[in-house]
Formats: sequence, structure tokens, C-alpha cells
Amino acid sequence: MITRPTTDTLIEDCCRELVEDILPGLSDETLKLRLVMTETVLRNAAVRAAHEIAWMREETAALLAYARRVVARYGSEPLRAALADAGAGPADSLHLADVADCYERAGRAFAAALAAAQEAGAADLVARAREVLRDRIATEKEVMATYAVVGR
Amino acid sequence: MDALGPRFERFLAAVEPDRGGRVIACEAITGGYSRISARARVRWRDGTEETFILRGDPPPGSGVFTSDRDAEWDLLAALPAATSVSTPVARWYDRSGEYLGSKALVMDCAAAVSLQDEMARAARVDTSADPLADLFVDTFAAIHQTPLDGLPDRMPRPPDGRAYLDAVLAGYDRMAAQYPGSAPVLRYVSWWARAHQPPPVPLGLVHGDCQPSNVLVGPAGPPLVIDWEFAHIGDPREDLGYYTQIPLEPNVYWADPERFLHRYRAATGLTEEQVNPQVIEYFLIIGMAILLEQLLEAAAAIGRAERPGILASYLINAISHQYGMFLAICDRLS
Repeated sequence: MITRPTTDTLIEDCCRELVEDILPGLSDETLKLRLVMTETVLRNAAVRAAHEIAWMREETAALLAYARRVVARYGSEPLRAALADAGAGPADSLHLADVADCYERAGRAFAAALAAAQEAGAADLVARAREVLRDRIATEKEVMATYAVVGR
Repeated sequence: MDALGPRFERFLAAVEPDRGGRVIACEAITGGYSRISARARVRWRDGTEETFILRGDPPPGSGVFTSDRDAEWDLLAALPAATSVSTPVARWYDRSGEYLGSKALVMDCAAAVSLQDEMARAARVDTSADPLADLFVDTFAAIHQTPLDGLPDRMPRPPDGRAYLDAVLAGYDRMAAQYPGSAPVLRYVSWWARAHQPPPVPLGLVHGDCQPSNVLVGPAGPPLVIDWEFAHIGDPREDLGYYTQIPLEPNVYWADPERFLHRYRAATGLTEEQVNPQVIEYFLIIGMAILLEQLLEAAAAIGRAERPGILASYLINAISHQYGMFLAICDRLS
């Protein structure tokens, strides 16, 4: 496998091709707009390609840690089932689809745990959930990079 | 002239068979994220000319935002009698899409520019945008005070404001169940929003895409409000909350929130407890519910055989952006 340039570098090179060489040659305003949107999507994809497996695995660990903490205090059967489902994912695989699968399972367990904490009025657990979500938003902001609304 | 021109000409022959309309120009209008729009110039047999706006659905399975064209047509037909707010004259409707390729409205093209453009022009020449901001506020206050009994029967009427908010928040729970990647944020936000409901106000007509770009102003006559596709009966404050996230500059709410809301309260008779900056922030969450669900649906459709187009991928950023705003609102108002 040819490892250099890395995937993100390849995508960024495509972005430059689109913006510097192809966009100036377009006269149709609708096509121009679609190309600008495409370039934005590719730029976001470059950021994701470089980091998304690591980001999802890190957050999966945080989501599950939270769910376990809630289970330890409010161990309802549905919550235990959600946590068991999260544990049934292909956790050892680094293939992207498997990592995303585990991430979504962990997200469901987290949401169930959050609901239990909210219903119990456990302010400390709700506050901890907010911290986890704050980290998630920080990651998504990195992906958004230079996003600006076009075409409205 | 693209292929739409000849199709529109055949449509005119069907709806105005005695006038001999010829389409002499037809061009797509760029901008906007939902419907396909075009501007067509028509010369009638008697030599007179008119310009029309054609507004149709994108091809099935493409696009991000969906709405009911029949409902929009019915509302446009009802509004002149139901409200003091003016709209462009709705002339014809290709109800089946037989002529224009998809269900499409045909409206008079007003000799007017968007209020957003006027606000931007005022900013460029360093003129106060306050009169334009007042016009914007007054226009939407008038929309919100439209008597509901004059609106089409097909528009769902929630029992009251509380029930309406409950239904919107239940919608967020439904989205959380359907889109696991979004479940953590949506569960957090919907729970928070249930615990922080503002004082209710009477239900009203909500435009659903409240922004100055959807208000046209000309040298004479009243402002014309366009793009009613997301209109519904709900809590009027969601229009204001929705406008706070419109990124086009200048945003006259953020220029002076207190002034904006003082004007709105004066026009509607609502109290400061019902309408204040905190309440309007809350209603950003409510006002984005319909569009957020459609963004999530479109994102889920990426990669399928009937792909929704590049807009769906592009607007994934908008989902992230919304979540960041929602959580920040929860923090600020807690």
C-alpha cells in the first residue's frame, strides 16, 4: 500500500484542483455553487480521514464509561441491555464501518444512561454528560474547519 | 432558454388558451436550498409582456428539504383574505407536474428586491438599518397575528401552545431514536427544553423561514412575503428563534436584540416575560426542529441509489453547527 501522500493530503490536493483550476473555468452559476459545496465536503472529509477512527474510539470509551457509571447507580434492565448491546459490537476491529458501528452502539447506551440520570434527577451525572457532549462538539468543530454558508 | 421554457409555454397554452403566450426568456434562479426556481418572461399575443416566477419541487429523491406544494398553494390562495400581509400574486398551479416536470407554482414576479439586500446596501453606505429592521419586525408580527380561522382547513391546529411544544420535543426524541449518531445531543437537549419551557403565548401562523431574504420591497406598495413552504400553525416565537441563526449579514436581531424585541412586543402585545432574549434563544431549538429532521433524513440517504445530491453532504456541517448552538443555549439559560 502506498502510504504517502496520506488520504487527507490526497483529498486536499483534489480541493486545490477544484478551486484553482476548475472553478475559474465555470460560467454556470448553479454549477459553481455545487462545486464550492463539493470542495467544502471534501475539505471536511480530509479532516475526518486523518482522525476519525481515533476520535470515534476515544469518544466511544468516554460514552461507555459514562453509561457504566450510571448503571452502577441506577441499574435498570433496559439500561443494562443497552450497555450489553454496546459491548457486542466489533470492538477490536479498526475498519471504519466497525468503528462507526461501535460508536453508534455506545451512543445509544449513553443516551439511555443520560435519560436514566435525568429521570433520577442526578445533577452530577447530567453535568458529566454535558462534559462528554462538549468534547463531541469540539471535535465536530474541527471537522467543520472553514465551513461557511453558501448559496442562500 | 432551457427546456423549461417550452414546457412553460405549453402550460400557458393550457391555462390561458386565448392569450397566445410565448416564453421569450427563461432562466434558473440560484440560491435557496429547497425548491427549484426560475424566472420566465412571457409575451402575450396582444404584445404585452409579463414576468413570472416558477417554483417547483426538485426531482423525486433529490434535494434535502421537502414540503407539500399542494399545501403551499392552498395557503397562498387563502392568505390575501386571511391576513394583512401581502404576498406575490399566485397565478397558476401545475398540480400534477404534467407540464412543468414537477408540481410547480407560478407567481407574478414583483418589481422588488429582497429586504436582506436592502439591509446589506444600507450597511455598505453606512446608513442606519433601523427602519428596515422595523419593517421586518412589523411584517412578521403581522404574519403572527393572522386570524387562524381564515387559514386552510388542511393546516394542523394544535390544541394549545403547551401541547404544541410537547409535540415538537417529542419529535426530537423520535429523531434521537432514529439517528443514533445524534441521540446523545438530542436526548440532552429535549430533556433540558422540557424543563425550561417559557410562558405560553397564543398559537399563530408561523412562516417557517423567517428572514429578510423572504421579504421583497419595491419602490411602492407593501412588502411582499415569499417562500411559505414551511408555514404552519405553531408558536410565533419560533420564527424569531429561527432568525437568530441566519448567517447572512447584517442580522438585524443581533445588531440590537432589545430594540428588535421591544418593537415586536409593541406590535403583538406580548409581554416581556413572553418575549425576551432568553426566550428567543430557547425558540431557536423549537424553530429548527422541522429542518433538522430533514437534514438528518438527507444525511442518512447519502450513498443510496437515489442520492439527495451534494447539498445533503454539505449541510452535515449545519447539523453539527446546530448541535453546538443547542448545547450552548442549554448552558446559557440553565
